[in-house]
Amino acid sequence: MPPRRVIELRGITKRFVDGPPVLRGVDLTVPRGCLYGLVGPGAAGKSVLLKLVVGLLRPDAGALLIEGEDITGLDELRLHRVRARIGMLFQNNALFDHMTVGENIAFPLRRAGVTDAAALAERVADRLRMVSLPGFEDRMPAGLSGGQKKRIGVARATALKADIVLYDEPAAGLDPVTSQKIFDTLRAEQREAGATVVMVSSDIERLLTITDRVGMLHRGRLIFDGTTAEALASRDPRVDQFVHGKTDGPL
Amino acid sequence: MSQASEREGLSAETGRAILDLAAEVGGVAMLAGRLLRRLAPPRLDGPELARNLHRMGVKSLPIVGVTALFTGGIMVIQAGVLIRRFGAEGLLGWGAGFATLREVGPILIALMFSGRVGANNTAELGTMTVTEQIAALETLAIDPLSYLILPRCIAMVVMLFMLTVYGDVLALAGSALMGQALLGVSVATFFNGFLETIRVWDLATGLIKSVLYGVIIALSSCHFGLTVTGGAPGVGRAVNTSVVASATGIFVTDYFSTYLLG
Amino acid sequence: MAPPVAPATPPDDALDGDAERPRPRGLAADTGQLLIEGVRAFRGLFDVALRTVYWSLKGRREKGVVLEQAFEIGNKSVFFLTVTQGFIGMILVFQSGLQARRVVPDLTMLGATFLELLVRDLAATLASMMLATRVGAGIAAEIGSMVVTEQVDALRMCGVDPVDWLVVPRFLASVVMTGVLIFYAGAIAYFAGGATAWAVFDVQPQTYLNARLLDIGDVSIGLAKCVAYGAAIPIVSGWCGLSARGGSEGVGIATTQAVVFSSLAVIILNLVISGVGFVLFPV
Ligand SMILES: Nc1ncnc2c1ncn2[C@@H]1O[C@H](COP(=O)(O)OP(=O)(O)OP(=O)(O)O)[C@@H](O)[C@H]1O
Ligand SMILES: [Mg+2]
Repeated sequence: MPPRRVIELRGITKRFVDGPPVLRGVDLTVPRGCLYGLVGPGAAGKSVLLKLVVGLLRPDAGALLIEGEDITGLDELRLHRVRARIGMLFQNNALFDHMTVGENIAFPLRRAGVTDAAALAERVADRLRMVSLPGFEDRMPAGLSGGQKKRIGVARATALKADIVLYDEPAAGLDPVTSQKIFDTLRAEQREAGATVVMVSSDIERLLTITDRVGMLHRGRLIFDGTTAEALASRDPRVDQFVHGKTDGPL
Repeated sequence: MSQASEREGLSAETGRAILDLAAEVGGVAMLAGRLLRRLAPPRLDGPELARNLHRMGVKSLPIVGVTALFTGGIMVIQAGVLIRRFGAEGLLGWGAGFATLREVGPILIALMFSGRVGANNTAELGTMTVTEQIAALETLAIDPLSYLILPRCIAMVVMLFMLTVYGDVLALAGSALMGQALLGVSVATFFNGFLETIRVWDLATGLIKSVLYGVIIALSSCHFGLTVTGGAPGVGRAVNTSVVASATGIFVTDYFSTYLLG
Repeated sequence: MAPPVAPATPPDDALDGDAERPRPRGLAADTGQLLIEGVRAFRGLFDVALRTVYWSLKGRREKGVVLEQAFEIGNKSVFFLTVTQGFIGMILVFQSGLQARRVVPDLTMLGATFLELLVRDLAATLASMMLATRVGAGIAAEIGSMVVTEQVDALRMCGVDPVDWLVVPRFLASVVMTGVLIFYAGAIAYFAGGATAWAVFDVQPQTYLNARLLDIGDVSIGLAKCVAYGAAIPIVSGWCGLSARGGSEGVGIATTQAVVFSSLAVIILNLVISGVGFVLFPV
């Protein structure tokens, strides 16, 4: 029986040179098959937390476990093995500008050892249909709108069918209809595959329609961690204000 | 971009390159003219000048120092080949000192200064241009040329001159030390040879050149920074163009000034 | 929904492009800080260099990647080198002709001496200073902008070492192309110098074209410099690009640093190689 805790942060602290600490002792556990929504005001440290989880940044203190394995001190080569099981959407999409859309989406697959051209093309076309951009294989990222880039980023993050997927703002810059559609599709695929997902989004209302659990980061601390229903009913004025989008409150 | 230039013939491309070059040179000349008009009577922001003098000069000290020391050492090695051949130790001070003071010192220090200060200046002004901060100054009725550009230009010219003096001293020190270490020529012999053969005019030509190089770096870095278009990538391109233009300008100027100053 | 990253008009002190704020601190603290940063930077550079060599020997490359970079390097710098090296050749011959006439009235050895100096040192060093500016800045800008747009993180997520993917192709291309370009630049300087010698000092071409002073030592030193500079420029500039932080300003800073540090690398390597060569090949 594989461990139930897929992602586990224990007392993670991170600060950058010449700045206040971004994360101060964050404990967080994401169980298997859970869609975890991570919310918080701007500059709360959400993106930093996601990068710590995959070892792109290193914590100053605390431990980080992926499926029970401590990855805190792993070197880059061993981290590659861990990352191969994880898909990630970056907040700025991070599409490779010198590759076409199709090559971008196929890149993680190629690196994972898929060489069959037909299989690659099939998977790319499938991903593009998923984000409602069929036929975009030969476009260059520079010629796409902000929302289109975001959707290509989502397509690339999900290309590998990874067990763990991290999304940083999957719906930023999308119109309400498309963003609801993306949320619903990602949820359906996550359920089907039994994947473990962490999703950061500022579109709280829509995010909460699909999450199992929710965490709220504020000033470097996890001030809330519980089920979606608990979050909606929370008495903590900060959580209440943030989750219901009220303008007056402690934030 | 490359597609367009592939379809055009070589002559069209060369023609356009020449037109572009003429436009940039014209732009630099216009900038120089507008700055000169603000010099008499001087309309210039004093504190801004002081701030630029400090950060352009003091922060370049380490890089110029290292460059000069090493260059001095290299010149001795190159001169050493000739000294060994003719067997005249007394000529070492002349061989290393002459080339360093007249040519190599001013040029290398100017190239370093252009990379450190000129490029930085283009990047700053370029960022201010694309984020419309320069336009914002104008709407506040502040003249960007006297407030922003003139202090930078004056600071660059003054500082490159002073850094060249400082670099000359260090380069000679580097030469003397290297001559001692590698050729066994004592420091005293080196400086005796140096003082006997080097005239003040040799030092002066180098320093006059450094002023000219300073003017070139100042004008080109400001010009390319102020004419940035195309957002952040445009700033990157401008930095590159400005450094290349400065280097080209330095060598062209060197040729003509060597010819005129003798 | 994405909030704007930077306000349209940054606060007043943003006019100062330098990242560090002047804070009153003791000289000792300043020096200590500088030393620590220096050591850390040097370790970073060393790490990039090691990984570059490792992946050059070990990595597999897609076809055409190195060729593309080689073309890029050549295309960027041929015109620039032609102009600068042409002028350098004229200056040097003019200057040394004037001097030599004072000491020894006969200029028959002018061409031979100049050729020796070009091969030993000037062709490689001066051309490489120019390449450090032109090519180094380009490398740092490209890699730096991939860093700040998280493309490098995305590469790492796919199990790619950014040094392998980004630095090594430029490294291989540079080692080859720097040699080729130095040869070209040296030829330009030599012939521009020859024209000057003929026009100003009346040295006939058949007198000027004289390779008698050239020996195996000169050629070895010159070749060593070609390889060392060609290797150093992409490693130093790649390291600057990979250390870029922040937005487009970070890319700007990385670019400037690449120019300064790769020029400095050329100067330092020049001293080392010249010194060793001087000891190994006595005249
Ligand atoms: N590489 C870095 N170097 C220095 N500081 C950083 C770096 N990355 C993030 N920070 C700082 O860490 C803090 C948190 O950043 P982070 O990107 O995690 O915020 P966020 O919660 O994702 O905000 P947003 O909702 O705006 O994306 C910010 O103050 C930011 O300036
Ligand atoms: Mg973020």
